[in-house]
Amino acid sequence: MSPEPVVVFAAVSLPFVAALLMPLAFRLLGERTGYLAAGVSFLCFALLATQHGAEGVVSLAWIPSLGISLRFAVDGWAVLFALVASGMGVLVSIYSPAYLHGESGLARYYAALVAFLGSILGVALAADLIALFVFWELTSLCSFVLIGFHTEDDSSRYAARMSMLVTVGGGLFMLAGFLLLAQAAGDPASFDLAAMLAEPGPVRDSLREAGLFVPALALIAVGATTKSAQVPVHFWLPSAMAAPTPVSAFLHSATMVKVGVYLLGRLRPLLESPEWSLLFSALGLATMLVCAMLAVASTDVKELLAYSTASHLGLMVAGFGFASGYGAEAGVFHLLNHALFKAALFLIAGIVAHEAGTRELAELGGLRHELPFTAAITAVVALSMAGIPPFSGFYSKELLFNATVEAAGQIPGAIGWLYPAVAVLASVFTVLYSVRFLALFFGSRPDGLGHVTRPAPILLVSPAILGALTAVISVSPGIAIETVVRPAVDATVTEPREMPHVIPTSYSTAVGMSALAIGLGLAAYPFYGRFHRGIGGLSAAIPPVAATWWYDAAIDGLERAGRGLAARVQNGLLRTYATWTLGATCAIALAGFAAAGALSGTMVELEASIPIALVAAVAVVAAIAVVRSPSHVVGVLTLSIVGFMLAIVYILASAPDLALTQLVVETLVLLVFLLVIEEIPESAELPVPKFSEMALGRVGRDAVLSLAVGATAFVTVLVTTDARPEGASEIARYYAEQAVPEGGGTNIVNVVLVDFRAFDTMGELVVVAVAAISVLTLLVMRGRGEDA
Amino acid sequence: MTTVVIAPMLVVLVTAVLTLLFGSYPRLRTGLALAGTAGYALAVALLAWTVVLAPGAPGIATYQVGGHPAPFGITLVADGLSAFMLAMVATVGLASAIFSTRYVHNIGYDRRTFYNPLFHVLLLGVTGAFLTGDLFNLFVWFEVMLMASYVFVAYYGGPQHTRAAFRYVALNLVASAVFLLAVGGLYATTGTLNMADLAQRLADPAAYGIDPVPVVGLFGLLLSVFALKAGLVPFQFWIPSAYRAAPPPITALLAGATKKVGIYAIIRLSFTVFAGADVPISLSVPGTDLGIAGASPLAFVGPVLFAMAAASIVVGGVGAIGRPSIEGVFAYSSIGQVGFIALPVALAAAATSEQFRRLAVLAALVYALNHALAKALLFLAAGAVRSATGTIAFDDLGGLAERAPALSIAVFVGSLALVGMPPLSGFFGKFLVFEAAIRAEAGGALVVLLAGSLLTIAYATRVWNRGFWGAPSTAVTDARMDRVQVAAVVALAAGVLAVGIGFDPVYEFAEVAAEAALDAEGYAEAVDPGGEAA
Repeated sequence: MSPEPVVVFAAVSLPFVAALLMPLAFRLLGERTGYLAAGVSFLCFALLATQHGAEGVVSLAWIPSLGISLRFAVDGWAVLFALVASGMGVLVSIYSPAYLHGESGLARYYAALVAFLGSILGVALAADLIALFVFWELTSLCSFVLIGFHTEDDSSRYAARMSMLVTVGGGLFMLAGFLLLAQAAGDPASFDLAAMLAEPGPVRDSLREAGLFVPALALIAVGATTKSAQVPVHFWLPSAMAAPTPVSAFLHSATMVKVGVYLLGRLRPLLESPEWSLLFSALGLATMLVCAMLAVASTDVKELLAYSTASHLGLMVAGFGFASGYGAEAGVFHLLNHALFKAALFLIAGIVAHEAGTRELAELGGLRHELPFTAAITAVVALSMAGIPPFSGFYSKELLFNATVEAAGQIPGAIGWLYPAVAVLASVFTVLYSVRFLALFFGSRPDGLGHVTRPAPILLVSPAILGALTAVISVSPGIAIETVVRPAVDATVTEPREMPHVIPTSYSTAVGMSALAIGLGLAAYPFYGRFHRGIGGLSAAIPPVAATWWYDAAIDGLERAGRGLAARVQNGLLRTYATWTLGATCAIALAGFAAAGALSGTMVELEASIPIALVAAVAVVAAIAVVRSPSHVVGVLTLSIVGFMLAIVYILASAPDLALTQLVVETLVLLVFLLVIEEIPESAELPVPKFSEMALGRVGRDAVLSLAVGATAFVTVLVTTDARPEGASEIARYYAEQAVPEGGGTNIVNVVLVDFRAFDTMGELVVVAVAAISVLTLLVMRGRGEDA
Repeated sequence: MTTVVIAPMLVVLVTAVLTLLFGSYPRLRTGLALAGTAGYALAVALLAWTVVLAPGAPGIATYQVGGHPAPFGITLVADGLSAFMLAMVATVGLASAIFSTRYVHNIGYDRRTFYNPLFHVLLLGVTGAFLTGDLFNLFVWFEVMLMASYVFVAYYGGPQHTRAAFRYVALNLVASAVFLLAVGGLYATTGTLNMADLAQRLADPAAYGIDPVPVVGLFGLLLSVFALKAGLVPFQFWIPSAYRAAPPPITALLAGATKKVGIYAIIRLSFTVFAGADVPISLSVPGTDLGIAGASPLAFVGPVLFAMAAASIVVGGVGAIGRPSIEGVFAYSSIGQVGFIALPVALAAAATSEQFRRLAVLAALVYALNHALAKALLFLAAGAVRSATGTIAFDDLGGLAERAPALSIAVFVGSLALVGMPPLSGFFGKFLVFEAAIRAEAGGALVVLLAGSLLTIAYATRVWNRGFWGAPSTAVTDARMDRVQVAAVVALAAGVLAVGIGFDPVYEFAEVAAEAALDAEGYAEAVDPGGEAA
């Protein structure tokens, strides 16, 4: 069956349309807008459910010139992820109105929530790299808005910015990786992901040939792992818990953070290789272990769940990393299981925080008396998280254990056994924190805990549904596997195979690993406090161990660097500015002359007449005197000597009109200068510099700069006059011939100015007029503009 | 047909004169200014349509001022590149003009301060620079543009404005002197100032009996002048204080239009004029393998511009992060963003493939368009915040998102466009620049681009967190936003979004512009220097 284009496009665009209408809907419905959002999500869910079993591509041209389309592909993997996302959208929207009762900014909240749903459906279905990127970044954007929901709260803003930097920044790396893929796929670049996946061979070969396989893989990996909070950028996920709990359940456990995992599953058939396996299995297992340990060190319920989420994402990443069929099965099946049990746990954590008024683990316990129904749900989902048989999490973890064992067998020597060892160790910590979470309900009740109210029944609906689904999969995993998991796995492997039975019937290494992990975990639980303090103490004692330390240090460092830059480089001193400007200009020009070989062939021939030499000598002496002048007046007077000498040069070179102009300008400038200097207060007079008093460095710098500027101007004039062709140029001849017939004037310069190039003159007249206006404006505005 | 080429200049010139004449009638003056800017936008649209975009349009048109044949008179040339730049400026100019109608009251405006005439003189200079086909004439329009902007930087007359203006004037005077030196040198070497003529002579120096070797150094001089206009490191010094000092609608124009004149001049002279010059380049650092070599001056331009662009991206990005005010952040951001524009130009110059050059120049143009729209939006928004709250310092702001939702959404869109978020105009800028870096196999460029993008996210989110989220300050609580100002900002935000979603026609326009920039032969043919008339 091929997909129905109208249905697919409707499912993706519906949430965006709804997002635009949310502010209006909120005016009409108030807090009940949440149920509208649930309705929209359900509609998407239903639309997508009709596409179950379909396979194929639908597309709509977007930017034909670049070959970019809104191309959507439907297959088992896309449908699974899209159904999880829209289903979760329904449950979270039902939960939100009661949870966020009385909060402000709800219109924005629901708009962002449904926009997020649209984006995630876009990611799930996209079969065009650019369309995929567009939706990918939109999920980060919605996440930013939702994390910052409590805009007045410092930690919300901090976390929102952090998540934006990490996920959007990571996305840009991924874009670069996509461009490498697109370039390898054809010329001009082709962004058709469906076509690449249909025939991965040529793309892979072309990347390998160009030596770009590893860079492309690395760039895409940055995008996927930042989004899925893998070590070492796992730190943004716990901070993101500043978002309201429904958001944490929806975005930061069930869907958005799984986008990275989803992409790995999607690209696995295309990029699967030894490098791929090594990178993702190592990264995933490291994350699984590190974050499970950090979950044990957590003091806050949501923090525990956040680290646990990162750890489970590590499991999925590792799963997709392994080349075997087991790996893909682990990744897909665990994505489903985790979405169900972790979202339920978050919603339960929300209920606990809502009813008990605290999220501190130390302050909570024994809640089964007040919250019996919640406790029952928790038992199912927490045991699933721990991977205890026969709960759903156990099955998917078994698949991963099998994958690690298989991988270990393929690596010679003992080093391969690190894979299963790390997986087991991580699972030990998983058991530990899962039991700790259960203790919220089944442990002893701390003394400080006050009265705990019963939650509104509507708050229990969503966790109950999730718990029930977890229970169904636990009891008969076959149903889920046959309906959604296996079709999804088929899309993530190159050679589909029959999926093994997940309920173990005889002993295997993987079963032993599970038994070991559960046994060790339960045995270690009495010492939970020691682990908790030990791991917590480690990051307190050595700050760089905590990943946020790096983030904070980087941001602080940049802010400090920015301030330093402003203070030191942009220091407000014209001297600094002029040094750089002139120095760089000279360097570029001289390098240009040198590069073209203009300097080598030039011979300096002195053939000056005595008068010219004399005039030039006077000018040089005057120029030196300017630098040594004791006051502004003397300086300006001395400077004018240089100008007048120049005028004499013009006279000697038979250019009387130029000389005349030069004399007029020089005289006027001198007069204006003297008039202005009259206004300068005495205190601003330059002291006579004595060489002994001057900083040698500054004098040296100024001298070098002056010489460089002089040399540049000199060289420029020298090489250009040297290169000048003999005789009058064509243009000069034309002006001489046409001045009278065309311009009606006998003074060629005048005709050029007012006729041939009158447009220049008009522009210069505007300049003169504006100069006059500027003087007026400055005088009028002086002292009356705003002082900002 | 050819009159349309000079029409935009005439419209702004006439408007400048009229607003000067009727300065004593505030309503009439404001109406004239607005009508003049609208007329300018229309003239630009007409030019773009008849010359470039209409089916069967010639793609290039010339106007020989005074009827003197090229290269003896001055030639105005409108081609795809000019039309693209003009369209960008007209859009920003219109938004800025609308905003100005409500802003000038706040700054003690009266007829003696000549805001409106100066505004149009600024537009005149920018337009002239985009249209002229003569190197000295380019210098003239630079001066016109600068003269008006000098006044605006010093406009408020306070100590910091005067200081900013002083630095701005001083550095630009240096640049003007260097410009003249280079123009004089080029005239001496090649015997012409007409750009088309210049291109022809440089491509076949023997036929014209000239020695083109010095032009590389001369172009180096020009490059530093244009880099100073564009605000590339190490010529960026004037930017932060000048952008903060000028009235916000003018800063929008400075960032959106005059800055682009520098970029335009680099593209125009590099590809239309100097690309075909027959001058072998070879320069190496003694004792190492480092060096450059190539057959045209562009082999020299490429690495130099690349270094400036990369440094700009880093300096602008890092500088923006720690700024204490909205305008401060965006002023530094302008340094970084122009680096993103110049980087693909540098890659294009360093490459020899015509196809790659087209892609890279196109990337620069699309990025420039995005920067013009987004940065104009952000500076106008900063102006709106200033007129509503009396401050733009982060310490006195916060919670604007709640108090001014429409403005805030627009700022959000503008900031995200700088970051390059899809589906905004900025995304395609980033996308194409990335693609250029990847096609050029320039790993270093890609690293700089990615680092610069991260810096952009860092400062954009900081602006948002400090100014728009958080508890509303007293200044914000008491603020009253001006509807017209907000409308101008929102309109630009809509533009940013529209360009992103409906990118196809924009891409086609930019492609025509890039092709025009590279088509030295077509340019020379249209201008026809020394043709039958000579």
